[in-house]
Amino acid sequence: MPDKNPYEVLKADVLDVIEESPTIKSFYLKPESPFEFATGQFIELSLPGIGEAPFTPSSSHYETEKMWVTIMNAGFVTNEIHKVQKGDVMGIRGPYGKGYPLDKFNGKDVLLLGGGVGLAPLRCLLQTMIHDAKDYKSITVCFGARTPADMIYQDQIDDWKSVGGVRHLCTVDKCSEGDKWHGKTGVVTVLLDDVIIDPKDAIAIVCGPPIMMKFGTFSLIDKGFKPENIYLSMEKKMYCGFGQCRHCVIGKYYACKDGPVFTYEQIKDEEKIWD
Amino acid sequence: MVVSKSDLIKFFDTVQSEFDIFVPYQTEREKDDLVFKQYDSEKEFVLDKYRTIDPVRTLFYLPSESVLPPSAKTNKRIIAGVKNCDLLGLAVLDDALLNDNFVEPNYKIWRDSSYIISCDCTDALQTCHCVLLDNNPYPNNDTEGDALFDLNVSPVEDKFIIEVGSKKGEELLEKIKEVCTLTEVTNNDKEIREANHAEVLKKVRDINSDFTQDRHYDVITENKEASVWKEFCNECVQCGACTNICPTCYCLILNDESTKEEFRKVRSWDSCQLVGYAEVAGGGTPREHRWETFRNRYQCKYNFMKFNFDKLGCTGCGRCISACPAEIDLREVIQSLQEV
Repeated sequence: MPDKNPYEVLKADVLDVIEESPTIKSFYLKPESPFEFATGQFIELSLPGIGEAPFTPSSSHYETEKMWVTIMNAGFVTNEIHKVQKGDVMGIRGPYGKGYPLDKFNGKDVLLLGGGVGLAPLRCLLQTMIHDAKDYKSITVCFGARTPADMIYQDQIDDWKSVGGVRHLCTVDKCSEGDKWHGKTGVVTVLLDDVIIDPKDAIAIVCGPPIMMKFGTFSLIDKGFKPENIYLSMEKKMYCGFGQCRHCVIGKYYACKDGPVFTYEQIKDEEKIWD
Repeated sequence: MVVSKSDLIKFFDTVQSEFDIFVPYQTEREKDDLVFKQYDSEKEFVLDKYRTIDPVRTLFYLPSESVLPPSAKTNKRIIAGVKNCDLLGLAVLDDALLNDNFVEPNYKIWRDSSYIISCDCTDALQTCHCVLLDNNPYPNNDTEGDALFDLNVSPVEDKFIIEVGSKKGEELLEKIKEVCTLTEVTNNDKEIREANHAEVLKKVRDINSDFTQDRHYDVITENKEASVWKEFCNECVQCGACTNICPTCYCLILNDESTKEEFRKVRSWDSCQLVGYAEVAGGGTPREHRWETFRNRYQCKYNFMKFNFDKLGCTGCGRCISACPAEIDLREVIQSLQEV
């Protein structure tokens, strides 16, 4: 039995805050001691006196001294977090859950399908995979957002593309006149037509808003990806992080403890997985 | 071993400076109702009869307590008069809160510091239905090493037969021996105990004679969309009484009470029956309809806990039936599902 208090919080200094889009900010944090985690695991990030919420770090798990967390202003806690400035103090609990089983991706074509703020955990995965790029046959990145202004991490695309074996595709739902946009237009699944990997043995990782994950998964199945090779980052109300509070249950599973990464095969028969 | 009731009282009187003692007392308002209260040598306690109003869980998993830092007290406690349905409830909580991956700090402190003296039921309430769950209204004391109690007492006339269920129980028995005169169990005592068991078992069976004894909980999964859910939930006001009163519910919310200097967290009970329970920022919820929320408690108790702990989350105490302002009877819900 572990003797550490599971509610223990690590103090973290806010080193920088970047505005990624009108609704999304990235926070650069320095925990008081190195923080180890596996890509895909999540943390509970707290603002003293306000509350906490679950987020997946958006930087590589090879970086343990400092970490980036990308957060959309979507509710009570995130609204308060968006007011945080450089020099403020936050708290970190975790890491929690199971990450991506990178060993199973070894030597395979890997497709990352992300939408909106779902790009945040995928960035963590991508940065980690780029660190060991030779371990994968190829990495295809398909990112979508509502408008060009909502597409985060645009300044990093060139860095990613410069890595051998990495291909980057992007699309926005809507593009207004005068927007600077060189990618496609349409929902993220339109990018799948341009993907040139053989789906039979390929791995797909999907993260984004529920509706995008639903249709993304269905499209991948149509293209020939196997349900056991489609990994979904299920973001539910992961309140405690260790399977105690029961807010995040997906049928008999806990999103926090058994996930947040599930294969579609694992949860396809559970109810309301897309809500 | 056998101890007389007057000797047991003498024991409690003697050790009350060393232990915090909790025993069931009749409430002033309703004579039939029993509640755990701190031992009072002036008042007459009731070890036997039936379950208390509140589950014993409320002494181990408080409605609200600080978990960072943990606030549980380490004083040794004796909790006496615990019924089998509550012992089974603690077994579920032990699996959930004290396992290889997770130890809930307060629960561990409360659990470690407590000595549990259970007691056979000698009577039953109209909501009692342990028999429908294949449980008995008295603890199973045949299984060696698997007993859920430290000591169990079986009332026999004005005496109690004491059974030891654990190391802690042995320890406590030694203390009892220092104060009380214990006698060996006679065949006559055993016969009376057997007769008491048979009598109370019959009583609970008779109370539940309208319900199918042979129950299959896969009917919940098989009839997920059945109109039964919608019909029963029409009366539900989503107050959460059924979960707050349950011996196995442990859903929680955390409140952050940190200052700049120190991180502090307070854990409070939550209920899957309350509006907004599983709702995430942006408004998404996996249980959009009221009947789905209503159904979740049944899925959790009979399917999910079985999957996670290989134990049913319902021990048959019937407290959720007593507490429901809409008089929803979960026995009837399961019965209706079996008859779909």
